[in-house]
Amino acid sequence: MLEYRNLVKKFGERTILKGINLKINQGEIVFILGTSGTGKSVLLKNTVGLLKPDAGEIWIDGEEVAGFSEFEFLKIRKKCGMVFQHPALFDSLTIYENIAFGLRKHFSLSESEISSRVNRALKLVNIHDINDKRPAEISYGMQKRVSLARTVALEPKVLLFDEPTTGLDPVTTNAINELIKDLSRTLKTTSLVVSHDMPCALSIADRIVVFDQGQIVDQGTPQELLNSKVKLVQEFLAEAKEMLDHDSNVIRGTTS
Amino acid sequence: MTTIYRDVYSFLELVKKTVMSLFLKPLRVKETFQQLYFVANGSLWIIVFCVCFAAVVTILESSFHMKLVIQNDSMVPGFASLLILRELGAVVTALLLTSRVGAGIAAEVGSMKVTEQIDALRMLGIDPIQFLLIPRLIATTLGCMILCVVANLICIFAAMIISDQVLGYTPSMFLTAMNRFVQFRDLIFSVVKAMFFGMTIPMISCFFGFRCKSGADGVGSATTQSVVFASISIIFLDFILSYTFSYFY
Ligand SMILES: Nc1ncnc2c1ncn2[C@@H]1O[C@H](COP(=O)(O)OP(=O)(O)OP(=O)(O)O)[C@@H](O)[C@H]1O
Ligand SMILES: [Mg+2]
Repeated sequence: MLEYRNLVKKFGERTILKGINLKINQGEIVFILGTSGTGKSVLLKNTVGLLKPDAGEIWIDGEEVAGFSEFEFLKIRKKCGMVFQHPALFDSLTIYENIAFGLRKHFSLSESEISSRVNRALKLVNIHDINDKRPAEISYGMQKRVSLARTVALEPKVLLFDEPTTGLDPVTTNAINELIKDLSRTLKTTSLVVSHDMPCALSIADRIVVFDQGQIVDQGTPQELLNSKVKLVQEFLAEAKEMLDHDSNVIRGTTS
Repeated sequence: MTTIYRDVYSFLELVKKTVMSLFLKPLRVKETFQQLYFVANGSLWIIVFCVCFAAVVTILESSFHMKLVIQNDSMVPGFASLLILRELGAVVTALLLTSRVGAGIAAEVGSMKVTEQIDALRMLGIDPIQFLLIPRLIATTLGCMILCVVANLICIFAAMIISDQVLGYTPSMFLTAMNRFVQFRDLIFSVVKAMFFGMTIPMISCFFGFRCKSGADGVGSATTQSVVFASISIIFLDFILSYTFSYFY
């Protein structure tokens, strides 16, 4: 469904992505973990043509897209939705219009269909009654959820999430992780999720990929990663393991 | 050195894309009018205020020096109106628009870039040049031309009043002198200058906005750079245009 072959991206003298090889199957949920500044966002942006790679290939649905023009990328961008790291809502539009905007651009729907799809998307992320507010009038966490709804409303086949739950409360975080899982089970959506949320990666990911300095240092199912020998992976896991242990202790009632 | 070439090249690239989408893609009419309202109506009083003082200073200073050197300031009204129409009106308007409108555009576009709104637009198949730049380009160009005419008239009017009150040249003497020194085409040339200045400001602001680096200081330096480069370009363009127009006299 989605495959990177030897993907290289440079900014000036700095090489950010140093040859990424990764294959993601349809319906799979793949989590990307990695420290700040290792090029996770850059990888996602290359996928949909917001940045152009310097070398390597990107295959989406049997098409090599790295050499596509901005115009050709339009159909790829209908197929692959992206939820940005920033909420990236359009300041001048209301919440409703922010979501309806993309629907109007990509599909020809009647107003009532648009309205029902907007409301359905907002319900998925647990947001009500703010249709007429502007992005500046709602909290950051709400903005992030609206931005997620905006992309999900377009019902793309591939979803790229750039830290969808960073900065959100645990309840909303869980709801969003459930949403990602649901989309992949019901609509067979392929998801590539950049996240720092290790416990949730362990619980919903089919596969976890660990990034460091623009390279993949380890990948595998959550179970395989738990036994990884790579130091960075162990560091990432240490905290998550602690939390998991803590959680089960709380449930068993052994934590004071 | 190579980075300067690359920057100039990417600026020219932006100009090329802008010209292409200006002619090939539909215009966002409503947005353009909103921007025009912001540019013209919003800047009117600042410009009126500034050109009035520019006129006063021009008249008083030149009178003072003429009296010192040739013991007579009868040439002041004529020279002042020449100076106002040929240089002051257009340049002062453009420089004020650079700091008010140009800085605003750079900050707005820059923060849209930093918060990934521009990427979000592209994801929907929207061309940021058509969506953001073109309406601002048309609005600022028209706004600058309109404001330039207004500024010229107000400035001349202020000069006339101050000559009457302080130097003792009645309005009819002022107008007679002016009629001898300037022609209608001076106003036309002034508006042509304003058109070029009005195109320069949003082009440069959007150029720096689109390549804004992330972080709050990114937006800050995009704004600063856009104002600096737009101001320099206006002064430089003014020289080129004045030089070119001098062949028509
Ligand atoms: N448009 C750009 N121009 C120049 N450098 C860039 C650009 N975008 C990203 N970079 C650089 O590429 C590197 C990787 O950035 P990226 O945003 O992919 O990091 P990340 O892995 O997503 O980190 P984070 O977890 O903080 O979001 C950074 O050092 C950044 O400075
Ligand atoms: Mg990132």
